[in-house]
Amino acid sequence: MEMYAYRCDNCGELHHPRHFVCRRCGHTEFTEEPLSGKGKVLTWTKVYNLPEGYMRPSLSFAIVRFEETGLPVSVQIDDEKPYIDEEVNSTVGVIKEAVGKDYYGFIVEPVVV
Amino acid sequence: MREVGIVGVGHTKFGRWSGSYMDMASTAAVEALQDAGINLAAGEAGIDQLFLASMGAGQVNKISGAASALVDTLNLRPAMAETIENGPASGASAVKIAYMAIASGLADTVLVVGAEQMRILSGWESTDFVSTMLHPEAEYPYGLTLPAAAGMFTRLHMEKYGTSEKDLAIVAVKNHENAMHNPVAHIHLVPDLHAITDDEDANVINPYVAEPLRVYATCPMSDGAAALVLTAMDTERKFAHEPVRIAGVGQATDTHVVAERSDPLDLFAVRESARIAYEMAGMGPEDIDVAELHDAFQILEIAESEEVGFFPRGEGSKAAREGKTRVDGEMPINTSGGLKAKGHPVGATGVSQVVEIVRQLRGEATGRQVKDAKTGLTTNFGGFGNNVVSIILTTTERG
Repeated sequence: MEMYAYRCDNCGELHHPRHFVCRRCGHTEFTEEPLSGKGKVLTWTKVYNLPEGYMRPSLSFAIVRFEETGLPVSVQIDDEKPYIDEEVNSTVGVIKEAVGKDYYGFIVEPVVV
Repeated sequence: MREVGIVGVGHTKFGRWSGSYMDMASTAAVEALQDAGINLAAGEAGIDQLFLASMGAGQVNKISGAASALVDTLNLRPAMAETIENGPASGASAVKIAYMAIASGLADTVLVVGAEQMRILSGWESTDFVSTMLHPEAEYPYGLTLPAAAGMFTRLHMEKYGTSEKDLAIVAVKNHENAMHNPVAHIHLVPDLHAITDDEDANVINPYVAEPLRVYATCPMSDGAAALVLTAMDTERKFAHEPVRIAGVGQATDTHVVAERSDPLDLFAVRESARIAYEMAGMGPEDIDVAELHDAFQILEIAESEEVGFFPRGEGSKAAREGKTRVDGEMPINTSGGLKAKGHPVGATGVSQVVEIVRQLRGEATGRQVKDAKTGLTTNFGGFGNNVVSIILTTTERG
């Protein structure tokens, strides 16, 4: 399972999530590129009141900027003590279990030195 | 363009509404119509248009086309009627659209009702309902919530500007104190600042919701409705109150996904909506006597007070600490109790904010009245800042 960024076929601008119209040139065709690798935590939170469908007491989230592309994305973070500027590795996993369907997305974890 | 004024206000007690959605909306509507001195007899009300603001009438209360039901139960037929859904900014959007309807000449007198009944849901379900305003692919399926977005925003604000958990609690206590004087507020108690911050049991009384946000840095889930009667100021029709004039309306949008903003601390749509409203009114932040800002989380009152120009960037917390935003301070904010203590029935909030400013400008805000208030600002914040509406109201100048 992979997650993707969307590169504008005209000007090369990278997007995540997908937009229908390129934010730079207005073009409407894109090519998917795998989005993975290392990133840095810009900010994070640990949430104790989760929405319907999460059978757990808490879950942590972060905004992470990917090192290679510079794209910032929202992620789940699998780390008890995250911190700003922490280096993380991106994985793809189940972010939500719904009836008859699993949703996949970014789950980052600390880079083990 | 025609000038537009507000001549009637209505407001249910926010909190838990045990009756039906339509009764709640109707209660606020009838209070506003009666406040304006409008005859409710069939065919006599002279309401050309109804706008009903709600985020969840369809999704939560299973009433689609809710404005059609409301216009009928109020017997305002054949008035035009529409439901306005714009997340938590639905209320101010409805006021804006009512302004447009009158300014364009399509209508002379418009009833705006904001109504939300969320507490029929469990905590799980309501958290999910509110979260549906996040991005459908990049945020919502992750389990992200509005408190999560606010928690991440707060952490950055703390890191960059030194805002503390205590600063958030100071804003909360101030708003709870204000709500004690507002009979329609959801919560009538004032938390003890020491107990919720420095006490050894603070973690028990005031636990984390989304670190570093605690319970007393977030608003409650509320039911409630608020209503306004808006009218053209160039007609001969007389009402029970002098109109409070809508001097400026501004709205702006920002990226749907918070992570996509080049600076996630930048609330561009707040700043831009206020700028447009100031420009239309021919005013600036220095002209505002009282403001209702969208403090769904206490950090937002601080950040919005900077973005709308009351205080320099990074100095909102200091202003709150110094008491500048209290009722007797130099820039009173959330005299109603704000979303924190008055409550936040999402689609009703933008209408409720305007009701409070009208009461302030009429001199009816007993116990929380800002002295000589002539001009007020409301900022109604949709999504996590992706759609924001600001409105400026003034007393009617008499020649």
